[in-house]
Amino acid sequence: MFDKKHIPHLLMVFPFLALFAVFFLYPIVSGFVYSFYDWNATTTSRFVGLANYQRIVHSRDFSKAMWNLGSYIIITVPVGIAVAFCLALLVDSFKGFWQNFFRSIFFMPVVLPMFLAATIWRWIYTPNIGLLNTTRGFFGLPSVQFLNDTSTMLYSLIAVDVWVSAGFNMVIILAGMKNIPRQYYEAARLDGASKLQEIFYITIPMLYPVLFFVTTYGVISALQVFDTPWLLTGSSFSQYGGRQNALLFPVMDMMGRGFGELKFGQAAAYGFILTTVIVSVTAVMFALRKKGHQP
Amino acid sequence: MADLQIINVSKSYGAVEVLRDVNLSIASGEFVVFVGPSGCGKSTLLRMISGLEEAPTGEIRLEGKVVNRVDPAKRGVAMVFQSYALYPHMTAFQNMAFSLTMAREPKAVIKEKVGRAAAILRLERLLDRRPGELSGGQKQRVAIGRAIVREPKVFLFDEPLSNLDTELRVQMRAELIQLHAKLGTTMIYVTHDQVEAMTLADKMVVMNGGIIQQHGTPLGLYDDPDNKFVAGFIGSPKMNFIKAKVEAVRTDAITLSDLGGCSRLELPFRNFDADIREVELGVRTEHIDIAQDAGTTDILAAKVAFVEELGDVTFIHTDLPTGERLVVRSSKARHRGSSTECFVKLDPAGVLLFGTNGERIRSA
Amino acid sequence: MTTDVGLIRTAAPGYALDLSIWTVLKWTVAICVAVVAVFPIIWMINVVFAEPGVPVSINPRLLPTSLSAGIAKIDTILSETSYLHAYYISITYSLLTIAGVLLIGSMAAFEFALFEFPGKRPMFVIVMLSLMVPTAVTLIPTYLLTANLGWLNTMQGLVVPGLASAFGLFMLIQFMRTIPREMIEAARLDGASHFQIYRHIALPMSKNALVTLAILIFMQTWGNFIWPLIVAPSPQMYTVGQVVGLFNAPFSHVTVDIVMAANLLAALPPLIFFLLFQRKIVEGIAMSGSKG
Ligand SMILES: Nc1ncnc2c1ncn2[C@@H]1O[C@H](COP(=O)(O)OP(=O)(O)OP(=O)(O)O)[C@@H](O)[C@H]1O
Ligand SMILES: [Mg+2]
Repeated sequence: MFDKKHIPHLLMVFPFLALFAVFFLYPIVSGFVYSFYDWNATTTSRFVGLANYQRIVHSRDFSKAMWNLGSYIIITVPVGIAVAFCLALLVDSFKGFWQNFFRSIFFMPVVLPMFLAATIWRWIYTPNIGLLNTTRGFFGLPSVQFLNDTSTMLYSLIAVDVWVSAGFNMVIILAGMKNIPRQYYEAARLDGASKLQEIFYITIPMLYPVLFFVTTYGVISALQVFDTPWLLTGSSFSQYGGRQNALLFPVMDMMGRGFGELKFGQAAAYGFILTTVIVSVTAVMFALRKKGHQP
Repeated sequence: MADLQIINVSKSYGAVEVLRDVNLSIASGEFVVFVGPSGCGKSTLLRMISGLEEAPTGEIRLEGKVVNRVDPAKRGVAMVFQSYALYPHMTAFQNMAFSLTMAREPKAVIKEKVGRAAAILRLERLLDRRPGELSGGQKQRVAIGRAIVREPKVFLFDEPLSNLDTELRVQMRAELIQLHAKLGTTMIYVTHDQVEAMTLADKMVVMNGGIIQQHGTPLGLYDDPDNKFVAGFIGSPKMNFIKAKVEAVRTDAITLSDLGGCSRLELPFRNFDADIREVELGVRTEHIDIAQDAGTTDILAAKVAFVEELGDVTFIHTDLPTGERLVVRSSKARHRGSSTECFVKLDPAGVLLFGTNGERIRSA
Repeated sequence: MTTDVGLIRTAAPGYALDLSIWTVLKWTVAICVAVVAVFPIIWMINVVFAEPGVPVSINPRLLPTSLSAGIAKIDTILSETSYLHAYYISITYSLLTIAGVLLIGSMAAFEFALFEFPGKRPMFVIVMLSLMVPTAVTLIPTYLLTANLGWLNTMQGLVVPGLASAFGLFMLIQFMRTIPREMIEAARLDGASHFQIYRHIALPMSKNALVTLAILIFMQTWGNFIWPLIVAPSPQMYTVGQVVGLFNAPFSHVTVDIVMAANLLAALPPLIFFLLFQRKIVEGIAMSGSKG
């Protein structure tokens, strides 16, 4: 039962939906189709079934990238959130002007474009003349090749990452802290709880949904990590991932296959593998949350 | 100046019937008030008149023309909302001028019309303020001003005073009466406050469960309600209801028994249907008196539950042996003593009879 | 009762001492963290505003030493490279994206938040589900589509694919939901057409949300690296991000201070934006975070 009165509504949503369909839905569907074709810029495409998927999964780069990704996420997400949480507690303990002041200062790294943060840090990490190494030299320590020594590369990346994202998560956690009704703390104080007990028995449980959000969001974005390692390593399609691919991550691998080797079919398949991983991880996280909520 | 007819209008949301077979005729210049408990469909009916809600069945006629399919803006109705619905980003002037701006009236005309409405409502000094800078009463006046500026044929008010405090409400009520006198426009007003309804209405429409229970003048409904619902809804404190058995029926009187346990009452009544064995009596508080002693059979023994002393008047809440609550209004003297036992006497002239189905049984 | 008083009296000094240690500790930590947070930025500024040939890292200073040297470096970059052009591209890219997202996003949000129409539920659900889809999966097909449209190295290629922002829509819907239905109905009775209600009621009432969203989009487009990298690889269409990438490339043969000057120029717009709108930015992020 279509009615003329609906026309204005549909006209107003049309621009959005049209663009959404063309630049989101269509790419997803076409990407899915591409992923079954051997498709590169020069040759005509050929249906290859699951070959792209198989080739990716069996490639050494893929295992390396996935391994790197796993170690990266396991460290960066908890560390990042712990740091953000402590910063939020710290900022929350100030009042008025100083609270705003520190909040803004701590948030500053978020404002810098990611590409800048990464490049600045690359200079900080530079061997011999970089800021960190000159400081080490000052104390008589040997120069470290932070971005070229497989034993430090991952941690160097994580440091940058935490530096960039802590302010973002802090602001969200802080907003969550402000929403905790004051009475809970007053009641706890009357019960004789210490500051530490307040944090563990009130703040953290009450922040559960917010912490869940930042964790989920952190995991989802960490799974897609690209800019920072790309810029910390070669930052070109011919050179990326760093020494022994120690900083090779799936999105980089995908981009390299697409734009470096012009294997778009494989790149598309890579995208779907990644999506499957991301969606599964998200689903698991939501399932865990449900479980956690049951008494 | 416009008359309005509502003919066989019904409305349902999905399976829920919100209005059933509403028929109502409103004369030009009348001040009509819809009252009823929350959720009875007052707002829905009002919104159907405005056109904000569609009227799929039945007809709504304004000045004789069917308006069911006419756009709300073109019906010539203006509405004042409970939440005022003032545009927060515009000044009072811009709020009142909005409809004229939309109609692309010349600036001079807008200024003149808004100025006139502002003068009626004593808003001249507030025109530059935004809604956030106005008090509740002032906001309400701006909202009314916005309606006046459109020079509508019918004003619709949906609980416009319910967000104001009691004192302001009384004052705004008086202002609305004056406004109606000045403009002479048809006004339809929704409230669930029956005092507001009684003071404002030329015609009062009592609704319940999506059905118009009764309409008429406020005092007409007060004195002569059609059913138990109307009788109970109008008047404060509520009318008392007592169950009774019909003992004897004569041509111009009946005898009721078992009132409050064991009392009897003789009522003048013509042509009572002898088949009816049980009735319910409705008696307003002012038609009951405290009696000195249990002298005659028409006096009921009761127990005082509590007493509300309001100075000029005292309401004595008593419980009958049957468990029924009887409120007695006593203006003679302050309550004497705190005796818990007392006797009450009903005034037969003030007793209304209702059948077990709630319908009124009238003397023919 | 007397015991109570005694307790308070003995407890009070200890508590005060405790408090002051806590305060000192708290300030120390806060200041250290603040230094870590802003140090790279200050270091960048220091390197730029210093005499050339003296790497700051060797002789760390707290304050910039030479304003003129810094200006000279910036001048070199602006005059000898196409940095200004990249600036122009980045700003156009950001502004067009902001205008586009705000316009089509607010139009759609207005409908989704305040009205009922056929197909609303499924459309809304699909758009919101898209928030969960990683950019990785659409990146390559979107690139190929843009290429097929012949939009590589064009402004529309940069801007248009990003206009249907599900995040922007979501944020505006959340905000417009708070507009009371009666307000819309009042406007309708006042004779405003559907579009006029959008234009004169919904838009001005959502001003705050629109401003916040505009700022967030600016930050995001200015910092967007990957999309310009693939869709606009020609030097003619370089954004600031790409130019900075070139300066920083390992074999660019440019000295640190020049590179840092280039970086500083890229950081300036978002930093200025942040200083101007810090409350809005922080609250916008907190809002989208705590509600998302
Ligand atoms: N859009 C809707 N969808 C479904 N049911 C509705 C809708 N609007 C109103 N109703 C139902 O219709 C009935 C009448 O609502 P209406 O708003 O007319 O009541 P009312 O008499 O104005 O009550 P109140 O005094 O509380 O304002 C209510 O039961 C309400 O739940
Ligand atoms: Mg209502």
